[in-house]
Amino acid sequence: MQVQRAGRQVRKIALSGVLLGLVAACQTPPPPPADPEQALIAKGRELFFNETFAGNGRTCGSCHREEANFSIDPAFIATLPPDDPLFVAEFNPDLKANFENPRLMREFGLILENLDGFDDLPNKFVMRGVPHVLGLRNSVASPQGPRTGWSGDGAPGDGSLRSFATGAVIQHFTKTLNRVAGVDFRLPTDEELDALEAFQLSLGRQEDLVLPLPLKGTVAKRGQEIFLDNNLGKCNLCHQNAGANANFGAGSLGNANFDTGVENLPDQPARLTGEKVPHDDGFGRPGDGTFNTPPLVEAADSGPFFHNNAIETIEGAVGFYDGESFNNSPAGQLLAAADPEGNGIELDGTQIVEIAAFLRVINALENIRQSTTLLTQSLDKKVADTTRAPELINRARPEIRDAAQVLAGAGLHPQAVAHLETAAKAARKAAKRWFGRRDLTERALQELQKARAELIETLAMPERKG
Amino acid sequence: MPPYGSLNVSKWLGVATVIAAMLAGASYAHGQKQTERYIPLGQSPGLSGKTTALGVVESANSAARAITVAGRTFRVTERTRIWLDRSRIKLTTQDGSFADLQPGRRVEVMPESGTPGAPAAWIKVEMTASGGANR
Repeated sequence: MQVQRAGRQVRKIALSGVLLGLVAACQTPPPPPADPEQALIAKGRELFFNETFAGNGRTCGSCHREEANFSIDPAFIATLPPDDPLFVAEFNPDLKANFENPRLMREFGLILENLDGFDDLPNKFVMRGVPHVLGLRNSVASPQGPRTGWSGDGAPGDGSLRSFATGAVIQHFTKTLNRVAGVDFRLPTDEELDALEAFQLSLGRQEDLVLPLPLKGTVAKRGQEIFLDNNLGKCNLCHQNAGANANFGAGSLGNANFDTGVENLPDQPARLTGEKVPHDDGFGRPGDGTFNTPPLVEAADSGPFFHNNAIETIEGAVGFYDGESFNNSPAGQLLAAADPEGNGIELDGTQIVEIAAFLRVINALENIRQSTTLLTQSLDKKVADTTRAPELINRARPEIRDAAQVLAGAGLHPQAVAHLETAAKAARKAAKRWFGRRDLTERALQELQKARAELIETLAMPERKG
Repeated sequence: MPPYGSLNVSKWLGVATVIAAMLAGASYAHGQKQTERYIPLGQSPGLSGKTTALGVVESANSAARAITVAGRTFRVTERTRIWLDRSRIKLTTQDGSFADLQPGRRVEVMPESGTPGAPAAWIKVEMTASGGANR
């Protein structure tokens, strides 16, 4: 008996050793990418999500969450623990006053910015939403120089995307309101700025769409027509190809700024609270009232909308352009001046919903493209790789979820939604399992392609340039 | 391809011209540039070592409101922001005035534009425990 027991123990120990060896082999940190650009992007990713720059604990990823489309909204904020660095003003006495407004952050996802200077902190500030950082490669350049942030002037130094992180660290990462470099934070090095820029430029679309797309849905297809109609929707003038660049017929104006009157909206949610929400004067100091044009492909799943998170739904955001605030604004007046009947933008309820449906469908198509890329990359990893493949799959899952939600949110393409839900289930299992992961991932990919085929004529591509 | 709105060509060209003029007039100055005040001398990304002049104040002419740094003369206007960079003594940045642009003090000057003779957009003055004379 004792001999048998000893034998079993030896076998157990040997088996454990083999398993431990396997696990250790699988969990070896990934080697740095051979491609220098990929290595820079990987370093930028690490910095973006983990580097606090010796500050108050926040990282770039504190506000630009990957699982929330590199933004944050009140629903996502509600899922965070009380000690999340986002809420640092709630538990760091040095940042209790004049650093954030916790109520407006939690209720409306608004962040405090001192865009007009730091000389009167209790009174001089603006409250802004967190813009996503997807598709930046197509939405920063303008003939007047780089345009970053909601008003296009988000970066210190040379105003470039590369310099943006320096300003963000000073504004949002500081331990105290003294904002002393080397005490309250450290500034990013040149190498870190290079890496952060490379990472941000790698996110999302690398090219603009080429409209019109061969969409299948009746409502979205009509929405696309209105979007492109320069006498009706007029959307394509400022959001060419549903991107962030303007073109009024005399060539691209790049990523332009416009005063569209958002600040003049009545009953803005944050102001209804009675909390102090100063007027936001946009670009420059003093501001000229203009704000930067965001891309629309990524809009439907990254609300609330506009610089002040004033409108919750994509339908509401489209409807804004039919309202008085827009049509009385300098941008609205400009459109009216060019209109044969002197109209700015006049849309009926059905047309607003149709444009929104178009934006929902192109957002879902982008979600499908992103998740397909990530799942395909996961298949390139070795079977024994227990970290990198699941990580890629887990990054794909929110994209699949968002695609289903933006369609289902307006009752669009129920069959596609069903395929997306099946894909989401397969991806969830694939992320958890070692055995069968490959099959499950391939299943998810198939379902994604079926969903895509519900939205767009698949043979009539190209959907993208290049 | 469906006719996506027939353009009233002359009107739209007019709009394009107006917008192009508007955009061309957009100033160099930017809002979140306000964080610039907290960036120590020589560390402004994309500017230091490229666009700015970094050195000691060689001369300061209060009558002409101009200073010379690294062989270049800059006018100081009402628009020029002067910041006292006290990061070396671990204190916060303060606003300064022309009186702080004393010869011998280390400064960084950002011109408003690339045009020769352009006035200074901002000037950072490095303050040290001894008051700022770093030579």
